[in-house]
Amino acid sequence: MANVVAENLTRVFETKSGRLLALDSVSFEVQTGEVFGLLGPNGAGKTTLIRILTTLLLPTYGRALVGGFDVVKEAKKVRSIIGFSSSSERVGFDFVTARRNLWFFSQLYGTPTGEANRRIEELAALLEFQDQLDRKLYTLTTGYRQRLNIARAFINDPQVVFFDEPTNGMDVFSAKKVRELFVKEAKTNSRTIFLATHNMFEAEEVCDRVAIIDRGRILAIDSPENLKSSLSKPVVLFETDIAGASISDPTRLDGVVGGTIKVDNENETAKIRVILRDEDFLERVLQLLEKRGIRVFNYQRIEPTLEDVFISLVGAGFAERERGIEA
Amino acid sequence: MSSLALWGRASRRGRGVLRRSFVIWVKVAVSRALIRVIAMYGDPLWIVVNVGGPMLTSLALAFLYMLAGLSSLTGFAILGGGMVAYWGNVLWSMASQLNWDKRSGMLYLYIASPAPLTALLIGMSLGGILGTLPSSIAVLIIGALLFKPPFTPPTITVALVFMLTLVALYGMGIALSSLYLILGRESEEINEALYEPISFLSGIYFPSIGRFSPLPLAIQAIASLIPLTLGMDALRRTLFYAEGLAELWPNISALAAMAAASILIGLRTLSFIERRGRETGDILVGMK
Repeated sequence: MANVVAENLTRVFETKSGRLLALDSVSFEVQTGEVFGLLGPNGAGKTTLIRILTTLLLPTYGRALVGGFDVVKEAKKVRSIIGFSSSSERVGFDFVTARRNLWFFSQLYGTPTGEANRRIEELAALLEFQDQLDRKLYTLTTGYRQRLNIARAFINDPQVVFFDEPTNGMDVFSAKKVRELFVKEAKTNSRTIFLATHNMFEAEEVCDRVAIIDRGRILAIDSPENLKSSLSKPVVLFETDIAGASISDPTRLDGVVGGTIKVDNENETAKIRVILRDEDFLERVLQLLEKRGIRVFNYQRIEPTLEDVFISLVGAGFAERERGIEA
Repeated sequence: MSSLALWGRASRRGRGVLRRSFVIWVKVAVSRALIRVIAMYGDPLWIVVNVGGPMLTSLALAFLYMLAGLSSLTGFAILGGGMVAYWGNVLWSMASQLNWDKRSGMLYLYIASPAPLTALLIGMSLGGILGTLPSSIAVLIIGALLFKPPFTPPTITVALVFMLTLVALYGMGIALSSLYLILGRESEEINEALYEPISFLSGIYFPSIGRFSPLPLAIQAIASLIPLTLGMDALRRTLFYAEGLAELWPNISALAAMAAASILIGLRTLSFIERRGRETGDILVGMK
């Protein structure tokens, strides 16, 4: 059963510099018990989409249903069956204990106190912060605060839970716990987990399906495996000397669909990751690099990642896209 | 199925929805009030500022009245010390709260939940009143013990005036909270600009309206538009001059009208803000 449905969702913002098309005719469906990832660089439209689905924003055109309810006409019904957490928000009240904070949020949904207390214990056990429950919020470390924030999103026993960059800035151990929780809640408790992220690893690890979004448009939707296997073009990683950093745009290299460059200033090296049109262009690229005076230490064909899928679709990586968006 | 049976079922369903909405409203208001009280007393600095500050000011003024040979007026200063915390509470906690919630990211969570904003704000008012009550009582008890001002024992009129003043004040806080949400950071400057002039005009420590007022009539007329002014005037007259409902009805009626109007305006603007916020994306959550 589809728990989240978007049909031609479009959102236009009126800004001082003119009209900004944040979402452009977005359509998809997410099923019950599915972990769905929305993957794209900052500014791609992920947050706008989540805000529409969580009733914080109205769409300019199009329609969206959450749990079968229309997000515009039946906002109150939608709100009672969803949970929501964003990495940019504060968890609660500093001078109140973690337990009392979670209880407060449960009351926003009218949850009976007994049931709320049971869920608090259960979520604290799953995210391993039981010993922190009776400490005031301001005394908690960032990692525990973030875990508390995730627990808060589940406190009302929601049918659909939305997360906007949930593990952003989170320590590795906490992030692992959170990802395990997402999978467990979706598979054991049949919740729909809707995850907006620009973390490729996270999307690959937990999502049943991923939608790749850029500049307000969904470019592809499939399982991470299918998305990667659909990329028939070879991905090659060149390790070069620092002169490799002089290539400002790898797509200008003949035979390259798209690519990224990571510079290691400390070791004075660069890693140029490119998607070739086909195998035959490998020699051509090597010659071009040599002609530009770039020394190639090593090169190898590598397994594609979701970012490579993104690169093959838009011609640039997340970082390049974000720089472009900011510019 | 007959139309009567269908109507009965729809009616039962409607009552169920209403009951559930009411339960959520009460739970939200009570939990918000409780959290406010816990948070207030969890912060030791808050106690120092909110109990210590008004107490020192009112004691200093009471000493001045006493040294000037006006011992009978020391009660004005002590009463002012007991009431001033509520005014600060309305401005800095009530009116500014939604704006602070927006900046900290909490407003998202409120809007994305079934919790009515009115229940949150009314819960916050209740919590503010309950949290401020001990500090207010402390100022009154210590002031009364030190200066022994002449006053008549509190009557039902005192309770009525006190309650109406608080309702009108916190209603004003609800109305201001929507305005502050639109203004954003500028609201803090408005608070700074409002705090002292309104404290002065409302005559917290001296009678700003009525026969003992040193202010010109025009200023007194302007001051009378502030609920705190009418409330303080009525409290002084009933506590220190033993006036009753017969003399105070104009204040009481005006306070009741102000309370009703400010709550109504506050509720209407809140619902407007929520609708407008969802349309523009820049009031409730800030466009990203």
